[in-house]
Amino acid sequence: MRRLSTYGVAIATCGLILSACGTAADNDTDDTEAAPECDPVQIEGDAKVSLAYDVGGRGDQSFNDSAYAGLEKAVAQFGLTDVSEGEAGQDESEDIREERLRNFADSGHNVIVGVGFAYSEAVDTVAPEYPNVAFAVIDGFDPTEDDVNCNVAYLGFAENEGSFLVGAAAALQSETGTIGFVGGVNNTLIQKFEAGYAAGAEAVDPDIEILSTYIEESDPAGFGDPAGGQAAAEGQYGDGADIVFHAAGFSGTGVFDAAVAADKLAIGVDSDQFLTAGPEQAQHIITSMLKRVDTATFGFIESVVNGEPDQGFTTFTLADEGVGYSVSGGFLTPETIAQLEDYKAQIISGDIEVPTEP
Amino acid sequence: MSPQVSAEVMRARTFRYTWWLAALAVIVVISSVRLYTGADRITAPGTLRAATIGACPILLAGLGGLWAERAGIVNIGLEGQMLLGTWGAAFFAYHYGPLVGVLGAAAMGLLGGLLHAIATVSFGVDHIISGVAINIVGLGAVGFLAKTTFDDLEGGGPRNLSGYSTPPEFTVPLIADGARSLADRHWFIISDVAGAIAGVTTRLSVLTVLAFVLVAVTAWVLWRTSFGLRLRSCGENPQAAETLGINVYRYKYVAVLISGAFAGLGGAYLAMVASSSFTVGQTGGRGYIGLAAMIFGNWRPSGVLTGSLMFGYTDGISLLSNSGTLVHALLLLVAILLAVFAVIKVRAAERTTGLVIAGLSLGAFVWFFSSDTVNASFTGMTPYVVTLFVLAVFSQRLRMPAADGKPYRRGGAG
Repeated sequence: MRRLSTYGVAIATCGLILSACGTAADNDTDDTEAAPECDPVQIEGDAKVSLAYDVGGRGDQSFNDSAYAGLEKAVAQFGLTDVSEGEAGQDESEDIREERLRNFADSGHNVIVGVGFAYSEAVDTVAPEYPNVAFAVIDGFDPTEDDVNCNVAYLGFAENEGSFLVGAAAALQSETGTIGFVGGVNNTLIQKFEAGYAAGAEAVDPDIEILSTYIEESDPAGFGDPAGGQAAAEGQYGDGADIVFHAAGFSGTGVFDAAVAADKLAIGVDSDQFLTAGPEQAQHIITSMLKRVDTATFGFIESVVNGEPDQGFTTFTLADEGVGYSVSGGFLTPETIAQLEDYKAQIISGDIEVPTEP
Repeated sequence: MSPQVSAEVMRARTFRYTWWLAALAVIVVISSVRLYTGADRITAPGTLRAATIGACPILLAGLGGLWAERAGIVNIGLEGQMLLGTWGAAFFAYHYGPLVGVLGAAAMGLLGGLLHAIATVSFGVDHIISGVAINIVGLGAVGFLAKTTFDDLEGGGPRNLSGYSTPPEFTVPLIADGARSLADRHWFIISDVAGAIAGVTTRLSVLTVLAFVLVAVTAWVLWRTSFGLRLRSCGENPQAAETLGINVYRYKYVAVLISGAFAGLGGAYLAMVASSSFTVGQTGGRGYIGLAAMIFGNWRPSGVLTGSLMFGYTDGISLLSNSGTLVHALLLLVAILLAVFAVIKVRAAERTTGLVIAGLSLGAFVWFFSSDTVNASFTGMTPYVVTLFVLAVFSQRLRMPAADGKPYRRGGAG
């Protein structure tokens, strides 16, 4: 039986390798300004921008593509010449991310944007080694809050506010009284989407039933698992939901596939997914929760080009159009839109406070 | 007919009879658990459809593993071959349609198998080392191929692609609707079986049909043809096979190539049926789970099928909303089945094993009655835990091919 136990060891090892990922401890971004003791970062020469993508990568028609759109805009506007991109792999470890950032810095790039909260810790480690490089982390948090890095900008979003509006839209247009939410990974960032979505739906209809599924508990692979997205959405449509909102990156394409197959409706995330999805899928996407990663990316590059790189925490909210909802495709009725604009005004004025935890 | 032969036939019949009885008993227990806990969704058509879709990639990988190991080659590179298959499916389906996509996926998996065969059969490399290398190479190659071939396509990116056509799906008329309406009545046993039928016959992909047909084909070829007998003899005793004039190298090559092609098909299933998009690394360890299903199934096609369905079920159930309550209901099922095993073991005079299982059963009962839901993190572990459990408890009953994983050199028979 020795051979069998060798087997057991081999398989157990493989299991370990697979599960050895995801140290998902992220904090909410606070709307605080740059720490006062910081001097502006002085980059040397022209801005040379690098974008380090999250799992899912460019082509996800969602989060990463939105960052890329911001980069493209900056390239066009400022005539940037030296631009590079780096793709994250599934199950990659912290030091691989660090090494990617160091490679960018060592090759002369002085503006480095980590796309996604997963880069928070890597940037925190690498940034002190390159004081003349301006770093930014989208959705980022500072893991060592006592030890502030002056050359890092944390670009956060009030996802709960945008999600509130699409939640209200779902409740207003649902015919079955049941709606769904599919999250990529069960962490505090994605829970913000769920919390806002549920609050918005319940503001319209307190009795609405909201189904919620997360593809992965902690493994970031949940953002790159279309099969998981499809299975999760299919289950919710089967349980009576007629509109499903996803916050699952590339896995969202599976949610749209399920919507097409079940002839039900879906809500996109980050980008206006009516415009980016395939023609068949687009007919089932009634709106998207916009998270203007492109605006944030562009704004950061702009601040560097202008000689005063952003520092510290910035949160993009409904008030400054950092989050919102899309109307392309004409699926939202004029009454729904009027109602959403009303909610939007109430959130901006502070009459409605949107929760960040479910 | 000599008395000895008839005794053997009798024993085979009793054996088969016992299995049918055991299967029936499991269904009765499942149905009772469902009625007791009120978790009707554990056998609802939607759940079982998700389970089938979750099971097929594991099944194809497991069958691939079975082919290789029956010829004495441990193929731990299934994961890498599946990965190559996902790329092959996406690339060829995008440019040439779904049929070529499926063939392309099999061809890519076959290439991975060829690499493994060259290393292990021709050069005598340790099977585990070669397999792990193939997994690493597979992931790297797929990342590279995706970047070079998908970046500029409509609907593509450096790590993903969507917008290609997938194999057709069909719903079996009458049966699907009839079974569904029966399943919705929540009757004892009848609705559970109807749920399974409805789950499988609704929007059934031709690739799903192919996967199940391949189980039968594998069983028939390996156990009912002389080709299969020779192939298996290479896994049991290659030296003896050689003395009988069998070209062992050739049989091992064929087996590993088929193994890779099956794993490639598993990859195609993931990229074309379980979803309609490709992304780098979407196998998520299903190759290893396929291997686990094969060990669980005692290197037998029917066992691989059972293991895959079980692992696919836990995979599918974890993606349903409120899966915690469903998994909680299944705890009771696990507790009951463990209790039955414990009784069987004690009666078979394996007191220690029986007591260990009884302890586990008790733990599951306590867990069930002291909580309302199970954390979703536990469902992901299920295949690994079950495999370790099976290895620990049934290792005396498991019988892998005798020369599995052992190096073989031509002329070794002396």
